[in-house]
Amino acid sequence: MSEAASLSKAVPTPDHITDAVFYDFDMFFDPAYLADPHKRVQDLLDNAPPVFWTPRNGGHWMLVSHAANFEAARDTETFSSEVIPHAQIEAILAQLPPDTPPIPRAYPINLDPPLHAKYRQPVQGVFSPKAINLLKESIRKLAGELIDAVLDQGKCEFMSTVAQPLPVQVFLKLLGLPVEKFQTYSALVKAHLSATAGDAGSAIARMQDVALAMRDTIIARRDDPRDDLISLLWTVKIDGQPTTQQDIENYGVLMFIAGLDTVMQGMGHGVRHMAMHPELQSELRANPALIADATEELLRRYTFTVPPRRLNKDVVFEGVQMKKDDRAMLFLPGADLDPKEFPDADRVELNRGGKPHIAFNAGPHRCLGSHLARVELNILYEEVLARMPQFRLDPERPATFSGGHIIGVQELHLVWDK
Amino acid sequence: MKIRINKAACVGNARCWAVSEALFPLDDDGYIEVEEVDVPAGMEALARRGARACPERVIEIIDEDGDPK
Repeated sequence: MSEAASLSKAVPTPDHITDAVFYDFDMFFDPAYLADPHKRVQDLLDNAPPVFWTPRNGGHWMLVSHAANFEAARDTETFSSEVIPHAQIEAILAQLPPDTPPIPRAYPINLDPPLHAKYRQPVQGVFSPKAINLLKESIRKLAGELIDAVLDQGKCEFMSTVAQPLPVQVFLKLLGLPVEKFQTYSALVKAHLSATAGDAGSAIARMQDVALAMRDTIIARRDDPRDDLISLLWTVKIDGQPTTQQDIENYGVLMFIAGLDTVMQGMGHGVRHMAMHPELQSELRANPALIADATEELLRRYTFTVPPRRLNKDVVFEGVQMKKDDRAMLFLPGADLDPKEFPDADRVELNRGGKPHIAFNAGPHRCLGSHLARVELNILYEEVLARMPQFRLDPERPATFSGGHIIGVQELHLVWDK
Repeated sequence: MKIRINKAACVGNARCWAVSEALFPLDDDGYIEVEEVDVPAGMEALARRGARACPERVIEIIDEDGDPK
């Protein structure tokens, strides 16, 4: 996504959109957003309405304030996660020829209660804080190896050498997929990251590739269980029924699309901040017990996910008329930089009195993998600070970013003295 | 001092548990296990911190006089 990328075409403004709530912002290609994303987020908080409608990318609402995001995320009756209604998708799939290859469905991220809970409950225990804590030492080992591999170079492109491989390796280990699949999944992550918005056909093909790459292992674990997530998924029940091959592939695809580039971007934003703030590195190296607080505060300062919703009914929300089937984005980066909620929101302050952020969203769709993400981020920061000397941004090669539903760090060049 | 939790509204952030595993026990799914906790003497500050850490704002501290804080 270079600076030459052009804005999507503006669609006509529907009648219920007033001038007071209209603001032209392209969440995929806005040039200022791609140049320095969170600076543009602050600009939106200062200059755009707290809830606005933009004509870009087909036309949609942007919920920018903390109050709007917090309310909408928990009001699943109004703000549906079924961007295409579940019944409609089922009807389309039912009409496909019987020999069509299975189309993975990333349940339950795209389902509303009560169906949402049926698919979420079986995997909650697997991602509980206690279960995730058991993975800490193996994650620490993987992180240490990746960092040590670049130490002698005095420089690295952090995303491709550390931030991307680490979550892929954790994903392989957690699911029980063979390490030889590393290249396959790395390539799938790259394809996922470089995909352009709105191409549903290639998105389905990529999800099918993700499912295909784990199919052999899923079948093998059914008959010969081991100590891994895929084996465990064969033992859980969905709504009282044993899981099927398709169910397990669906979960695997969910974990792929929700758990890899997300953690990776969190690492990119956090390490970039540290590279720009040597005083923070010094403080954390002197007192590593503060790194857990830094993990939370960097998640708040650089919240990076923008989950989509569909209006389930006509509603007046935060004083704004919305219509059934309008689309709305939970612009969580805005929520966590809202000065009404966080004074001096642009500053990274390790002691904010325990005030919580909503980087993992709020309400029943709270990120299932949040505890794993926290552990991965926390350990990565600990190992970077313990193993690397003071590092800074490469002045010759500035960081590059991508927009859309995840604010991504494309390239992050670091340098340090050997 | 008591902690009162709207258990049905817990979504499993477990931030209270990160403050104090003793005051805020979790079930096997990682969600809060209790609705009310008597805060032992000396743990009042932890109780308040745990309540404040809840992103869903479903934890309430009840002081000796019975007033929610």
